[in-house]
Amino acid sequence: MKYRAGIDIGGTFTDLVLMDEEGSVHAEKLLTTPDEFGRGIAEGLAAALRNVGAEPGDVNIIVHGTTVATNAILEAKGAATGLITTEGFRDVLELRRLRIPEMYSLNWTKPPPLVPRRLRREAREKVGPRGDVRLPLDEASVVAACERLAEGNVAAVAIAYLHAYANPAHEQRSAEIAREVLGTDVFITCSSDILPEIREYERTSTTVINAYLGPILSGYFDSLQRHLKQIDVTAPVQVMKSDGGVMSVAAATQKPAYIVESGPAAGVIGAARLDTTANIITLDMGGTTAKASMVEHGQVARTGDYEVGAGINLSSKLVMGGGYALKLPVIDISEIGAGGGSIVSLDRGGLVKVGPESAGALPGPVCYGRGGEEPTFTDSVLTLGYLNPGHLVGGDLQLDANRARQVLETAIAKPIERDLLDAAWGIFQVACGTMVRAVKAVSTYRGRDPRDFTLFAFGGNGPVVAAEIANLLDMSEVVVPPTPGVFSAFGLLLSDVEHEISRAWLNRLADVGPADMENAYAALQKELYGVMADEGYRQPDYSVTRYADLRYAGQAHELTIETASAGGAPDLATLALEFGAEHERTYGHKAEAEAVECVTLRLIARVAEDRPARKDATSGGADHKADPRQAYFGPVYGQMETPVIDRAELMNPVTGPVIVEEYDSTCIVPPGWKVALDTQNNIVLTRGNT
Amino acid sequence: MTVQSSNVDPITMEVVQNALGAIADEMALVIMRTAYSTIVRDSMDYSTGVCDRQGRIVAHGMTMALHLGSFPDAMAALIRDYGDDMHPGDMFIWNDPYSGGGQHLPDVYIVKPVFAGDELEGFAASLVHQIDMGGIAPGSAAVYAREIFQEGLRIPPIKLYERGEPNRTFFKLMEKNTRIPDKLSGDMRAQVAACRTADAALTSLIERYGSGTYRKIVEELHDHAERIMRTEISALPDGTWSFTDYIDGLGEAPEPIPLKVTITIDGGNMTLDWTGSAQQVDAAINCPVPFVKSACHLIVKCLAEEEIPNFEGFIRPLNIIVPEGTIVNPLPPAACAARAIVGWRSLDLLLGCFAQIVPDRVPAAGEGGVTFPSFSGYDGDDRFVCTEAWAGCWGALPDRDGAFGIPNPGGNLTNQPVEMVEALFPLEITRYGMVENSGGPGKHRGSNAYQREYRFLSDETQMVMRSDRRRFLPYGLEGGRAGTPSWNLRNTGTSEQGAIPVMPMEPVIFAKGETFRHVSGGGGGHGDPLDRAPEDVLEDVLEERFTAEYARDVYGVVLTGTPFDIDRAETDRHRTELRNSVADAEHPAYLTYFHDALGIHEFRLVGEREMES
Repeated sequence: MKYRAGIDIGGTFTDLVLMDEEGSVHAEKLLTTPDEFGRGIAEGLAAALRNVGAEPGDVNIIVHGTTVATNAILEAKGAATGLITTEGFRDVLELRRLRIPEMYSLNWTKPPPLVPRRLRREAREKVGPRGDVRLPLDEASVVAACERLAEGNVAAVAIAYLHAYANPAHEQRSAEIAREVLGTDVFITCSSDILPEIREYERTSTTVINAYLGPILSGYFDSLQRHLKQIDVTAPVQVMKSDGGVMSVAAATQKPAYIVESGPAAGVIGAARLDTTANIITLDMGGTTAKASMVEHGQVARTGDYEVGAGINLSSKLVMGGGYALKLPVIDISEIGAGGGSIVSLDRGGLVKVGPESAGALPGPVCYGRGGEEPTFTDSVLTLGYLNPGHLVGGDLQLDANRARQVLETAIAKPIERDLLDAAWGIFQVACGTMVRAVKAVSTYRGRDPRDFTLFAFGGNGPVVAAEIANLLDMSEVVVPPTPGVFSAFGLLLSDVEHEISRAWLNRLADVGPADMENAYAALQKELYGVMADEGYRQPDYSVTRYADLRYAGQAHELTIETASAGGAPDLATLALEFGAEHERTYGHKAEAEAVECVTLRLIARVAEDRPARKDATSGGADHKADPRQAYFGPVYGQMETPVIDRAELMNPVTGPVIVEEYDSTCIVPPGWKVALDTQNNIVLTRGNT
Repeated sequence: MTVQSSNVDPITMEVVQNALGAIADEMALVIMRTAYSTIVRDSMDYSTGVCDRQGRIVAHGMTMALHLGSFPDAMAALIRDYGDDMHPGDMFIWNDPYSGGGQHLPDVYIVKPVFAGDELEGFAASLVHQIDMGGIAPGSAAVYAREIFQEGLRIPPIKLYERGEPNRTFFKLMEKNTRIPDKLSGDMRAQVAACRTADAALTSLIERYGSGTYRKIVEELHDHAERIMRTEISALPDGTWSFTDYIDGLGEAPEPIPLKVTITIDGGNMTLDWTGSAQQVDAAINCPVPFVKSACHLIVKCLAEEEIPNFEGFIRPLNIIVPEGTIVNPLPPAACAARAIVGWRSLDLLLGCFAQIVPDRVPAAGEGGVTFPSFSGYDGDDRFVCTEAWAGCWGALPDRDGAFGIPNPGGNLTNQPVEMVEALFPLEITRYGMVENSGGPGKHRGSNAYQREYRFLSDETQMVMRSDRRRFLPYGLEGGRAGTPSWNLRNTGTSEQGAIPVMPMEPVIFAKGETFRHVSGGGGGHGDPLDRAPEDVLEDVLEERFTAEYARDVYGVVLTGTPFDIDRAETDRHRTELRNSVADAEHPAYLTYFHDALGIHEFRLVGEREMES
């Protein structure tokens, strides 16, 4: 039997999922080994293979999601990086777009630039917006810049000149010079290679991030492959990209900026692939944040407005400036600071607040008994009776329910003159209300009605809150997949090899003919064939889909529209109409008299692989039986004796209240909801007519 | 901790408050993504809000803070005119400062009353800086207008839509009164779309709770905001403090224009009295009173230790006194298109006054606020107007250096990409970055200035702009030095170099090939520069913010060797020498360094702000 292995590294746990050729799934949670990630992965994989009775040689592919790239940025542990810019523009990286993610703040701390000013040097050159050379490259100025960077002992260099998207020649020549001066060990990224699109801060920042991560990630991947070899696993390793596709380790080593959000992307891809026609909103609630994303007809939503390290990424561009701009395609995930560890407090006027501060893994919630003194979301749901104090992570984590109750009573319930259960219920309501905002950011903010979608819940806490969030948004169906707590690792196994390339192409549709666009696509396609060949794929192994980023001439923000596939010349009039329809759907109005303008052309190559449908699932935890317990469902229902069952007992439909307890998650089915299993072993909650 | 109990439970209140915030943010996103003009979509010069049925703000989007405090006066004007004549499907538009509680003519309100059934339950309100409303100069913001009649089309509150039907007369009239009708109508469409989005969301929120409960919750939330505000004020010491600062003045021979505020704190109440400010002037920098109130609301929120909710109840403890006929409360027909200069200075003034009350919370003055230049002309046969927003230099805080490259707290705007400007307009930008050897020295230094330089590619480009802080510099605090002055320079580095007045009283014209450079004010310093840690000065030199010579002459820090290291003994000796020497008050060393690099030789340091308590 052959196995695919999905491995998702997080801060505390590494999740590992094995799937065999028949679709059987085995999941385990391992402790992450931050000193040398490869060691923990290899040891865990070896153990998991033993548990299912397989040999190292039985693994035929490993798909990997990792937070190493994100953490290198958050912890400022990237490579010493230099930047060369057009003369007069070395401070673009530091000035950014000015805007900050807070109002009414006099002491907001700006994230320091990833390249200090002393390592930002300038080259004499200037290219115009149409690619015209206004000032030829002064090569001596590039040599001088590189010599200064050599003194600064840089391990990586980013080169980002104005309008290089329109003419990359100066950057490419400068890269050659940099190699001559600095040697071939230095990791070099040109903006025209990583992001040939207009807007200099976003392009420069993206280029810098790639250079900053390059040396770190190549060391990381080397170590990972070495450790895998030591346990005789020689299967190829693929890496999840932020947009939900996967790329080879070789490609990821060159373009690490593509894998910054690989972990969160995997869960959304998993949800999208389970049912390729579904309209779902994913809800992934973990220890510190909750993340929502939208899947429409099986297609994930992508965005280019993204920042690394911003913490909160609600509704993309409004809350801006908290992190480092990374304008590569990423799955549009809105994130909000509400997780299990979110701290509960009262403001000066006496209103209950949940988060965004978090107790983290240490000291963690009060009930963990590791020194946490402030009440958290987890303490509140434990008090409500939703969690089993003896059965978190299959009993590996014991919870102190009494202590949680005491702290909640003193810190919250007494001051607001409510009894304990009322207060805990209120906290649950406030947290769910906050998460509703994240769900709205990916749905109503984009003109979609959540009632037309199924809520797909995973992460350790997602199934705890899902039904209540569905109540608040008037959604009638919730789906909880098997192994919801390690679902991201499972999603890795469902991803396709995918590459997207793009090119600035600023033209009004009325000013060009179909042949112009076709020629531009053809040139881009040739480049894409080259990228795919490097990855070992040839036509017809993969399909190519064409997209265009369009806007009404004069707008600043584009909508990405799929254009007719290769073969025939694109019909520009139809394209303009399709854009108008999408604009109306998203923003509620269109303007047929306005000129439509194309900003960027995109191509995505996808290698569709045959995979078995998933069957049964096993996990590292032992089976258990739990007694019914008292759980509180708000003032209408009060406290109710609630059966506790496991997933297998849902073969026949059950009416809430009921609690489904599993190794890696707990699913709350409140009164008024019915619950059953579907043919794929998903828990399906349906709201009754209340 | 004890909390006053209220009639509605604190959980429902929090949930409703969040839901209202989400609606206002959603409006902001719709405008950002669908607007046409650069000033709206890229610079984000607009605001969104949700109001209750009395027109009081209950939520605002994460938008332009200095707009938001003027919503109360504008909504009061609307209700005064149409209180008994609002119907489902109506939408209102206005911009007039004198009859409509507006700010200046480019700032256009579009507001939709929201109904549940036939009952008025609230309003979706948007305010967008429209790029051109006609008038004497492109961009409708010329300093040199002398009456509001020169500034563009005045719109009192009128119906843009009546029971769902568009007011075609208005649209036709508007189209003939702007230089760029396509952009204007596109931006207005964005406002309309935002209001409709909010209408749907607010209606469904009210239906969830029922009108009676919803109204009760809203009242409680106003009271809650008031309670928090009073708690904040009560924690401040009682007393009276004043602060006076000056705007440089108008035209080629500027006369200083004083602004004065006196703050009195008495228990849970605060009075902000603008008596002593200049009479209104014969130019467009008069600041209609809603904008001054907005400045007061904004600074009070900034200084609060806890986040103040956006419910309008928070302004109840504030008593704002603004004498009529002054530059902070002009009478019609005073021109006011460039009123923002007084608005930004009001922020500096309020902070300067609070620096005496809560010194640990207040930064020294920054660059003087956001500057909005407008470049216009013809690109071939096409008319163009390019309006930008420049900002980014903060004064130092008591515990840290002033930030470089974040906007003024009054306007959380964005700059425009150089590449976008160059791709869309016949303008070339030749530099955008930090000015070395700039900013106000201090134990914690003010931010360096930034500069942005243009070369003009079309035959003739007209520029309208106003800046400030050339003569009266951004103040320092606690012995920190004032920030460096702002300059607008023509043809820098050539024999044709010349300075343009801070507030030119006529259009500024550039020929093809000429250049224009804006040098911002640098942030004021905090604390004595001779107390700055030598390690911090070394870092400033290594980061090329300062030269080693500047570090020696301004901070007394002597650096030697390659790479640089601190010569401790020489530094001690030199600092003692500087402390004991009599400085040239009119030509301090840091200003000489700054001006020499710009080729400016006739600068003399004059005015300073005044404080009393």
